[in-house]
Amino acid sequence: MDTLSLLLLTTFTPLFAFLIALIFLLQQPRAAQTVVLLGSVVSLFASIVLFLQGPTEPLRFLWFSSGNIQLQFGFILDGPSLMFGMVVALITGCIMVYSTGYMAHDPDKTRYFSMLSLFAWSMLSFVYAVDLLQAFIFWELVGLASFFLIGFWYEKPSAANAARKAFLMTRVGDVGLFIGVLLILQATGIFDIPALLNPQTGLSTQVSPHTLTWITLLIFVGIMGKSAQFPLHTWLPDAMEGPTPVSALLHSATMVAAGVFLMIRLHPLFMAAETTPVVILTISTFTAILASTIAMVDTDIKKVLAYSSISQLGFMLIGLAAGSLFAGVFHLITHAIFKALLFLCSGIYIHAYETNDMATIGRKGGRNLKATTTGLVIGGAALAGIPPLAGFFSKEEIFAQLGHNGFNIYMAGAFFAAFLTAYYTFRMIFLIVKPDRHEESHDHHHGPLEPLNMKGPVMLLTIGALITGFFGGQIAHMLNIHAEHHALLDMLPAIAVVAIGVFVAYLDYGRSQAQRTGFISNIGALNTLFVNRWYIDSFYNAVIVRLTLAIAALMHWFETHGLDGNFDRLGLNILRTGTQSTRVQNGLMQLYLAWTIIILGIVALYIGMA
Amino acid sequence: MLSSILLIPVFTLLIIIFTPNRAVKFVRAICVLSGFFTLVLSLQLWMGYDPIRGGIQFEELIPWVPALGISYHLGVDGFSTILVMLNSIVYFTGVLTMWDLEKRVKEYFAFMVLLVIGVYGVFMSLDIFFLFFFYEIAVVPMYPLIIIWGSGNKEYAGMKLMLFLLAGSALLFPGLLAIYHASGLNTFDIVALSKHAFDPEFQIFVYPFIYAGFGVLAGMFPFHGWSPTGHVAAPSAVSMLHAGVLMKLGAFGILTVGMRLLPEGAVYWAPTFCTLAATGVIYGAFVAIRQSDFKFVIGFSSVSHMGIVLLGLNLAVLGQAGIEALNGAVFQMFAHGIMTALFFSTVGYIYDRAHSKTIADFGGLGSQMPRAVSIFIVAGLCGAGLPGLASFWPEMLVFLAALKTYPIVGAVIIVGLVLTAVYILRVFNLAFFGPPNERWNNLKSLDLSGLHILPRAILVAVLVFFGFIPRVMLDLINSTTEAFLGRF
Repeated sequence: MDTLSLLLLTTFTPLFAFLIALIFLLQQPRAAQTVVLLGSVVSLFASIVLFLQGPTEPLRFLWFSSGNIQLQFGFILDGPSLMFGMVVALITGCIMVYSTGYMAHDPDKTRYFSMLSLFAWSMLSFVYAVDLLQAFIFWELVGLASFFLIGFWYEKPSAANAARKAFLMTRVGDVGLFIGVLLILQATGIFDIPALLNPQTGLSTQVSPHTLTWITLLIFVGIMGKSAQFPLHTWLPDAMEGPTPVSALLHSATMVAAGVFLMIRLHPLFMAAETTPVVILTISTFTAILASTIAMVDTDIKKVLAYSSISQLGFMLIGLAAGSLFAGVFHLITHAIFKALLFLCSGIYIHAYETNDMATIGRKGGRNLKATTTGLVIGGAALAGIPPLAGFFSKEEIFAQLGHNGFNIYMAGAFFAAFLTAYYTFRMIFLIVKPDRHEESHDHHHGPLEPLNMKGPVMLLTIGALITGFFGGQIAHMLNIHAEHHALLDMLPAIAVVAIGVFVAYLDYGRSQAQRTGFISNIGALNTLFVNRWYIDSFYNAVIVRLTLAIAALMHWFETHGLDGNFDRLGLNILRTGTQSTRVQNGLMQLYLAWTIIILGIVALYIGMA
Repeated sequence: MLSSILLIPVFTLLIIIFTPNRAVKFVRAICVLSGFFTLVLSLQLWMGYDPIRGGIQFEELIPWVPALGISYHLGVDGFSTILVMLNSIVYFTGVLTMWDLEKRVKEYFAFMVLLVIGVYGVFMSLDIFFLFFFYEIAVVPMYPLIIIWGSGNKEYAGMKLMLFLLAGSALLFPGLLAIYHASGLNTFDIVALSKHAFDPEFQIFVYPFIYAGFGVLAGMFPFHGWSPTGHVAAPSAVSMLHAGVLMKLGAFGILTVGMRLLPEGAVYWAPTFCTLAATGVIYGAFVAIRQSDFKFVIGFSSVSHMGIVLLGLNLAVLGQAGIEALNGAVFQMFAHGIMTALFFSTVGYIYDRAHSKTIADFGGLGSQMPRAVSIFIVAGLCGAGLPGLASFWPEMLVFLAALKTYPIVGAVIIVGLVLTAVYILRVFNLAFFGPPNERWNNLKSLDLSGLHILPRAILVAVLVFFGFIPRVMLDLINSTTEAFLGRF
């Protein structure tokens, strides 16, 4: 098959599945589920074939033109899009299979599966987009699909609010991105990504360094929103209100990954700008630490994973901003796999024990779920960065790049975040695997706790998390980058940091006489700060939300009392003048006569004077 | 062609008038038929308009009062072709929306058809006298439509709307007569007048009369007060026509009379009116955040969205990004028309069954009326400028032009996108999401079905179609834009 048909199969099959499910199969959830799954399988196979065919020239078609703007619709087929497209299709497929178990009893299955399909379509189209505006459009549709999925159980007010928050916060970021994109158009008149990146004729040669810095910073605002970087990160933990498979999708290969992927796409532009990389390094390092500190005190397994996503996204951006495309892509791909795995594991626990609390899951016998617990341990080890699992190599690339370019402060920050990561991950593992006391779980479930359609994807991703770390060389090859082999000695600091983190977690939670309170609880002030999530949400609610509502109230007052009120008053005064002037016509002949005489007299006087 | 589009509703009106009161079904049937045929003819017009040749096509010229230079002169350019289409879509779907009406059906449809005739007339007229004549025909039926079939504080709303619009006409009338006299050509013909170069000082003096006069109808800040009040009180199909089409008459008037005949005046006043329009965009959005009534939210969102149209018109004459701005403004007229029609037809549907349009009365309506709510959500997302729905393109074009011309204004109105999302999502969360309110359990069996889906489905399809294939629209608009901006 030729490339175009394969691309259309990859990106548009989910769209058709979405349309068919939503329009025709609203009353037949099983059929809808099958259609969506089939679409996903077709899309996965097509993306694998595309990947095997290797990078080729982009395909472009004219979408429309208006004035000086020419908008294209097309597909880019380079290393990042081929690899990540395949990962997206793979993880979406796993999550759809898993959902057949997780959502088996939901009455609204059609809506759920069709939205998943919409999600897959938007994300895949975003990944392969050749045109910046096309990418923006699908970027927004990714946001829309996650809005619907986060708020899937919309009857729960918390879910509806979380969906709204996600939409609004990413929208704030999108304003920056949108302005940045329009500024690019204004400067160059084109949206074509390869042309913009061309080192001889691209954007960086056409605008002043100052403008380039502004453009990249504005685009980064969009990335901050989507990839949940401080200060636009607070929507992500709330987004846990969605069904767990949705969280798995949202946090691994779609939605949040879109921000990082955009940075990968436009990496040369960011590197050509002057101050932008430093700004990104600062924000991402801070975010990585901030999110890790919250993850180490939270008790909700999904929240811990959510904050860990924020922190790991920070790592990816650090790697990219430090100048290594490879580090960013590598960590994006490995993270997608092990984070999806961890969320799916947490979903099985939640499904089985109906609680999100890690200690309770442990007490109720979480470790008896063998496949899930294996997945949790391996995924956690990969997240913590234990060699030789996936996360170790990709994080090592990031440290190496930071050290190579002499960003020592940021390297220290990244090491600290890596230590915290190892700590909170193993805290999670120990809480579940080594509970303080074991309760008999009252098994009131009818089916098995680990049904095959949920266990299967978990096992597949477990294998993925085990082996992806060894594919660094191949990934670098796809990116046309030569990956350096790091000597064992260079890796020692990274290994040491992780080892300390795991060890501290063991002391706090793992050993048999452990207190099961984190070391941080000894420092009351910090503990309070972390438990309250650095008071960022409280600040937003107290200041920004109130300010917006106050302005709205002020404008409303101005409308009703000032503007509209004055028009009303004008109208009413005219009416009153009319009413009063009618009193002159009171029907008394004598009065009319008197008025006539007076007026005639004045006129006569006036004429006489003249 | 044009005369037939105009005459179908005229004959419909005559037939309705001579139909007995009780022949309700016949009146409805005749209206649907007439809506359908005008829609088909408008489609033919769209297909028949040659975008490569551009300019005014399908001209018809019959001298009417030669002594005064009045002639029955019809013709459409790219702009008016799509607006005729808009009117046909809203007319057809509006008739279907009011299918269930039981109160004084004959009179209702008679007034509605009269309004539609007026709108067609304005979009097609190339003669100032006829343009103004049709303009008044379109405006006047609003009054009885609101005070007879409306709801709430309808006498007040109807009176207010009428007074505002007549005040606008009062500004407009002397302006139009001044143009007629100053040219000295003894003609009301727009084509002839547009070739005459008016004295720049005269243009600068007269332009604000024309702009503000038409602007009132376009919901121009700060003369927008009539519009949300009017929307709220009017029955749903009237709100559809009112927000969907009638407000576009104002913007179209500015374009076709103000900017076409008085280009230098337009350039002189553009910075001022840009500022007012941008203020309206933000102001409308902020006020909408505070509303407690569905229709007030939509009403103020219209003020905000029509601000984008007016902003685009004013940016167009400033030169830096004229083509984008004007394309955006005209496209936005169409997209906003369809979108508000969808909004009002759906809110009207819910109101007719629940007899409440207070947002706080609802809550969790999503599980009781999933189809109606889904359709409202589509309209809301379109209002929030989501890509994939028609409004995205015009807003993007206007934003682009604004960034190029006045970067600060551009940045501020793009922030307006967030405000739009704030008030739209507020409505979603308060009324549609959350635990279902048991008071409305009776609505479960009353969700959109059968014939009621048809008009909304048409509107949704139009929004999605132009959201993904904007080329169809932009080719047509572009054919006229470049020539139009040639004189600036």
